Amino acid sequence: MTAPLEVRGLTKRFGHVLAVDDLSFTVEPGRVTGFLGPNGAGKTTTLRMLLGLVTPTQGSALVNGVPYRSLPDPTATVGAVLEASGVHPARTARNHLRAVATVSGIGMARIDEVLGLVGLADAADRAAGGFSLGMRQRLELARALLGDPVILILDEPANGLDPQGIAWLRDFLRHFASEGKVVLVSSHLLAEASQTVDDVVILSGGRLAAQGTLESLLEQGSKKEVLVRTPDRARLLEVLAAAGMPATAEGDLVAVADATAEAVGPVMAAERIVVHEMTSSAESLEDLFFTLTEGQEFQSPTGPPLAGPPPPEGQP
Amino acid sequence: MTRLIRSELLKIRTVWSTWVLAGVVVLTTSGFGLLIAYAPRRRALRDLLVPSGSPRWFDGVFRPMGIAQTLALVVGVLIVTGEYRHKTVTPTLLAEPRRGRVTAAKLVVAATAGLTLGVITAVSGLGLGYLLVATGHGTAGIMLTEYRLVLPGDLGAAVLFALYGVGLGALLKSQVPALVSGLTFTIVVEPIVTGVLPTVGEYMPGQAAMALLGSAARSGGFGGGGSLQLLPWWGGVLVLLAYGVVLSVAGSLTTLRSDVT
Repeated sequence: MTAPLEVRGLTKRFGHVLAVDDLSFTVEPGRVTGFLGPNGAGKTTTLRMLLGLVTPTQGSALVNGVPYRSLPDPTATVGAVLEASGVHPARTARNHLRAVATVSGIGMARIDEVLGLVGLADAADRAAGGFSLGMRQRLELARALLGDPVILILDEPANGLDPQGIAWLRDFLRHFASEGKVVLVSSHLLAEASQTVDDVVILSGGRLAAQGTLESLLEQGSKKEVLVRTPDRARLLEVLAAAGMPATAEGDLVAVADATAEAVGPVMAAERIVVHEMTSSAESLEDLFFTLTEGQEFQSPTGPPLAGPPPPEGQP
Repeated sequence: MTRLIRSELLKIRTVWSTWVLAGVVVLTTSGFGLLIAYAPRRRALRDLLVPSGSPRWFDGVFRPMGIAQTLALVVGVLIVTGEYRHKTVTPTLLAEPRRGRVTAAKLVVAATAGLTLGVITAVSGLGLGYLLVATGHGTAGIMLTEYRLVLPGDLGAAVLFALYGVGLGALLKSQVPALVSGLTFTIVVEPIVTGVLPTVGEYMPGQAAMALLGSAARSGGFGGGGSLQLLPWWGGVLVLLAYGVVLSVAGSLTTLRSDVT
């Protein structure tokens, strides 16, 4: 079966700048895939190559196994919102959508439907020049949804959205993916994306830095520890040491390194230690993201390849 | 293709620049005509400017068609470059990724817009002409005969100039350079070349448009002096068509490969 989105050996050179370098990955249906990396990592260029707007120097970017330009009905296949995608300031929201609906043979009723969906029904006949950044984002999302596509590609969709808008978008994308459809959403903020995505493709300096499920990524890069708040710290330290779990007192907490709550809990229960609070913490997502993508700015465009994903153990 | 053309028509109808240009056409057509007919109150002065009943009188009153042509060029340029300026080219190419078809639809719409501008000019010029005849500033005879002779050529030139504009826009993509080069060429470069090298000049857009007016232009007036070296009318059509199509194809070929970022 062909993957809905497939990038193979994709390379793009703008003059002397190597924007995307031998990138390969696939995106699966029924999941929200986060396309992550710092600004300038090559995310937008890759998305534009997938959408036939930028021609690859080498390699291929395929939608349902074919280049975007060969899709028989692009609007009904892919809905895309890109950062530099514009709306003519003099045109009303409705007319902006009508231009696309007309090309794709979509009825006018669908325009009201998508405008309602993104919460712009009241602004339908206002000129887009007076729209806020968030409203323009929603209008472009409405445009992407016009053809009822099975693949959604969104470039930094959270930009300009208020917290309610972001929460709405998150629910929307989750629902969209739950119907077996495909979502590829780029972001330079891993923490924000981590609340939405199932899978991640992480870019750094135009190269693949990591790929997999979000959980596997977290497993891979995380240092886990369990924090316990107890009135009986000294005894807990003893008990844990006896159980072979080195622990340290940190303020009024006991920190157990490289442990899980599932391992620490039974030990404490067996010794009847009173626990007020127990939390597991992992390395922060931002730290992990930085580890995966750091050093990008020190790489010359034609420099040696970055290190691959960090090994599962032996991380400092 | 029909849907693509309808979409392009919708786009041109829903931006203000189209209506401003149409307004400019009406204002200049009637404004210049009225100025020429009425402003010089002294008879000697008026005759000096535009001797009543002469080809120059006719030219002044009826033929701000040069303006229709120039603005048709502007419309053609705007249809293409407006998409890059406002970044609507991304949604356009997402809906129809085959760029050659998009340019073809824009050529059709530009031709329609050029024809519309030409018709607006003709109607307001004719209306003005009747007004002038009614107030004793000319004779209906010369008006209708001469007008019938030049009207098809004028309309055709407006259509072809719009295509030329699309080609220029498709090639340069950027609004200001495309407008500046198109207008500078027509207003500055062409008259100089035509003056120095008439054989080359007759293949320039403005002179080719003049050729469309046929014998009426050659027999004097209409911005020329009767001694103009012009192509036959069909030669003018071919030359202008070539400007539009060759530039559009060249533009499409480069945009076909160029990156929309």
